[in-house]
Amino acid sequence: MIIIGEKINGAIPSTGKAIAEKDAEFIRNLAIKQTEAGADYIDVCASVDDDIEMETMKWLIDIVQDATDVPIAVDSPNVITCIESLKLCKKPGLFNSVSMEGDKIDAAFKAIADTKWECVALLNSDKGIPKTAKDRLDVFHDIMAKCKEYGIDPSRMHIDPLIEMLCTSEDGINMVTEVIREIKKAYPTIHVTGAVSNISFNLPARRIANQAFAVLAMNAGMDSFILDPLNKDMMGMLFATEAMMGEDEYCMEYIGAFREGIFTK
Amino acid sequence: MSTIAEVKTLVETGKSKKVGAAVQGALDAGLAAQSILDGMIESMGVVGEKFSAGEIFVPEMLIAAKAMSKGVEVLKPVMAGDNATSLGTCVMGTVAGDLHDIGKNLVVMMLESSGFDMVDLGVDVPADKFVEAVKENDNVVLVACSGLLTTTMPALKEAVQTVKAAYPDMKVIVGGAPVTPEYAAEIGADGYAPDAGSSAAKAKQLIGA
Repeated sequence: MIIIGEKINGAIPSTGKAIAEKDAEFIRNLAIKQTEAGADYIDVCASVDDDIEMETMKWLIDIVQDATDVPIAVDSPNVITCIESLKLCKKPGLFNSVSMEGDKIDAAFKAIADTKWECVALLNSDKGIPKTAKDRLDVFHDIMAKCKEYGIDPSRMHIDPLIEMLCTSEDGINMVTEVIREIKKAYPTIHVTGAVSNISFNLPARRIANQAFAVLAMNAGMDSFILDPLNKDMMGMLFATEAMMGEDEYCMEYIGAFREGIFTK
Repeated sequence: MSTIAEVKTLVETGKSKKVGAAVQGALDAGLAAQSILDGMIESMGVVGEKFSAGEIFVPEMLIAAKAMSKGVEVLKPVMAGDNATSLGTCVMGTVAGDLHDIGKNLVVMMLESSGFDMVDLGVDVPADKFVEAVKENDNVVLVACSGLLTTTMPALKEAVQTVKAAYPDMKVIVGGAPVTPEYAAEIGADGYAPDAGSSAAKAKQLIGA
């Protein structure tokens, strides 16, 4: 199970405010808190205007690297920003993200091919977000063909099947879980990731829907989660689900995480 | 080269894959097999106490016992024929009409880890089966009866009293969720333990070890 801590993202109002005010202490604290909460990667996304994105990324990455040893997920819709940002990182992290939109994936894969960086890949293309499982899997196979071309092992990939809001879906999450199952069937060592809270847009009591989604997605094969690790209920739910799936011998991971305070009674 | 302290830490933290090598390392360092075994038994005592105190959970007790048995496997050939290490035999079972085995298995494990040779009669054991087992096995010093249901409490009483009628001096220990120290005394048992963690200490106390 891989936890990608999402809190350092300028799109979150409190983080956006800290970035605008250059409040380094606020960012530093988010890095430390997420580390203590068991994050495997600290996502860093500036979410600012293009002309100051790179300098903002540098400012954020420097603060995070000073605060924690947890690797960074360099996160930008602009692939060049990700490529430039990864050069600033002291250790290999997660490239977040590529897709089959344009020729971004070539630039990105060229940059990480001979490194230990892992990579998030979204299942959209120039045609947008595919509506059916089959179309998403077509994009997936195109991505895997690129992996092969650049010699990137599937185990370095975190495929994001694209989680969309539940409230306008006609089949719940069945299409997404089908995609997840097919991906894992084709490449057992690959990771499947996603921004968990997308599921609950426009619903009340979002944390409940988020948890239900996490359980079912995990059961389908999702093993990498972009979320707020400070949410102890969610973290407990993930550890419990992992144990229920028979992937936690003697519940030692569950007990260990409880003891570390990652979730509580 | 390993020390007894290392072996003990590995047992207490349930590192079953590493204990064997550490025990071998301790033997290679010239430490006596008996003192290594005593160290591991002491560790299981600590584990039992922590469990009773609610500091650790059932699976942690399980993996500690599993780790210890890995260590014992290495010691066995070295200590073969050396009977001084056993506290004697304990016959244990869940009483007639009761099919619960998890608690009973935990106690078997904890008593075994503390130095008893265990004879596990399983579940749904009729009273006279306990008596037969005492007769058939060597050096039986303790009978342990488990009952998890309020409806099988009479069977617990029958088991204890049947054993006591046949072997008045035999020590009998009882336990199980509905059992209380008062009930244990009332039906003539010598001892009671509230959980697997404290069962070993109580058992040793009963036989004067």
